[in-house]
Amino acid sequence: MKKNLLKGIKHLFLIFVSMVFAFPFVWMIFGMFKTNNEIWQEPYKMLPDHFNFGEVFANLGALHFETYAFNSIFVGIVGSILMIFIALMFSYAIVFMDSKGMKILFWIVLGTYMLPSAVTYVPAFVILAKLKLSDTLTGLIFSNLASVFAVFWLRQSLLKMDRSYVEAARIDGASHMEIMRHVIFPLNKSAIYTVFVLTFVQQYNSYMWPSIMLKSQEKYLISQGLRQFFIQDGAYGMNWSQIMLASTVAILPIIVIFILTQKWFLTGIKEESGSK
Amino acid sequence: MKPKPIIQISYTILFMIPLLLFWIIPLMMAFGISFTDWDYISPSSNFVGMDNYRYIFEDADFMRALWNTLIFAIGSILPTMMIGLGLALILYKNFKGCRLYQLVVFSPWITPTVAVSLVWSWIFEPERGLLNHFLGMLSIAPLEWLKSSDTAMFAVIIFTVWKSVGWTMLFYLGALEKVPESTYEAATLDGCNAFSKFLHITLPLISPTTFFLGIINLIASIQVYDQIQIMTQGGPGGSTTTLLYLYYQKAFQNFNMGEANAVAMIMLVIIVFLSLISTWLSKTHVHYD
Repeated sequence: MKKNLLKGIKHLFLIFVSMVFAFPFVWMIFGMFKTNNEIWQEPYKMLPDHFNFGEVFANLGALHFETYAFNSIFVGIVGSILMIFIALMFSYAIVFMDSKGMKILFWIVLGTYMLPSAVTYVPAFVILAKLKLSDTLTGLIFSNLASVFAVFWLRQSLLKMDRSYVEAARIDGASHMEIMRHVIFPLNKSAIYTVFVLTFVQQYNSYMWPSIMLKSQEKYLISQGLRQFFIQDGAYGMNWSQIMLASTVAILPIIVIFILTQKWFLTGIKEESGSK
Repeated sequence: MKPKPIIQISYTILFMIPLLLFWIIPLMMAFGISFTDWDYISPSSNFVGMDNYRYIFEDADFMRALWNTLIFAIGSILPTMMIGLGLALILYKNFKGCRLYQLVVFSPWITPTVAVSLVWSWIFEPERGLLNHFLGMLSIAPLEWLKSSDTAMFAVIIFTVWKSVGWTMLFYLGALEKVPESTYEAATLDGCNAFSKFLHITLPLISPTTFFLGIINLIASIQVYDQIQIMTQGGPGGSTTTLLYLYYQKAFQNFNMGEANAVAMIMLVIIVFLSLISTWLSKTHVHYD
């Protein structure tokens, strides 16, 4: 009896906590359906009068968010795949081609792990401009390619692997590329997927660096697009309902990916946390 | 089997090129620029020695940004870690629905900061915002939130804690799951109550995770920018201008590259210094098994 009561209290508390964490999202969805009159009228209203989907879809067409969403998803997918590919090659060299040179290289990379990337923005922009890559998505992807975070995560996973698989493959005359494809990739799938999801989210959401280096509107990522929409509106007073619609559009792809890949998020990060 | 140098180079070069071009070389350049008066537009610049550093240390705006960053860091890290650990303690034992709760608490972490900052800007809105409505229901006087220099930082901190608790919780969940059940059983036999078990078993055994999360959160909060840019633009009256926001203003609004990079170098020194201190602390206080 007492146990059941405790259990009930625990769930009540957790439901309250979940509401606090989820409420801004619910508020955003409600806001999307509210008209400006509804927002300003007294008494205060939490729920919109009606959920008019037709109107929301019509507003959606007027937003022209598809370019920004496409850019963000493009940079997220292409950027993450390339980033993981070169980080995996690098980690493979560090773990399985042990030598003094590799050790020094790893210490250099380790040294940059804690450093704030933001302190390099001015010179990094100058270098990009010299390479004629500023204001291009290629330049954005290229400048993000070296992910020390990915190297750390993948290196941890490679270190935990049974080395004899790689050694056996070497003795059988497999090339390094073949080992990467047929031994390393299948045995480290879980770590690779986790890193992919994390880097995708990070690139999709990124804001400061893209807003410094991307100047033409048709190249904007979704966060920049949102921001510009927010300022534009500022002059005429906030149109909260449109802003909420735009925010929902920006969040939706990430939430879908999150639900599809929650396994990698939750278990991947949890597993990793113990070995730090 | 000795690896050939040419193979080693071919496997590492693809990573090293962008690392050098966008990390290591820019870092050195930033150091160099911080001793000049470069304005970005003119092709040449003059060496001005320590002038930029001397100037910013006498500049009230910089001192304020330093102070704001410190307040932000302490104000957001402590609640994030405590709430994260608290939720992990409730959620780490598998029970029906625990995964759903975990997902909900984690979801703010993955959403774009800009998008959720916009939602929170409305929630914090003094006239029609949700938060003041709730305060009204509890008959508490409404606050100005983001519009007043007294409460703006507090509002930004609330948002940041909401957004980052999930990540901290997830790391603690992983750490708690690895504490062996037998340790607790032994302590129960010795007559320890729940609180002393937490204090003498759980806390020491998860201390590597606490240490790791402390540094990661610290470095992230010294670089806070996105939410500040959307919610307050450093205002009102400079009350939420943090170091990185000041860097942005100096570099990309005033084109004062010398001073901006001097600010960047100071951020760098702070982070290196904190990392060294925490490494030293971890050697004396953290229990690695």
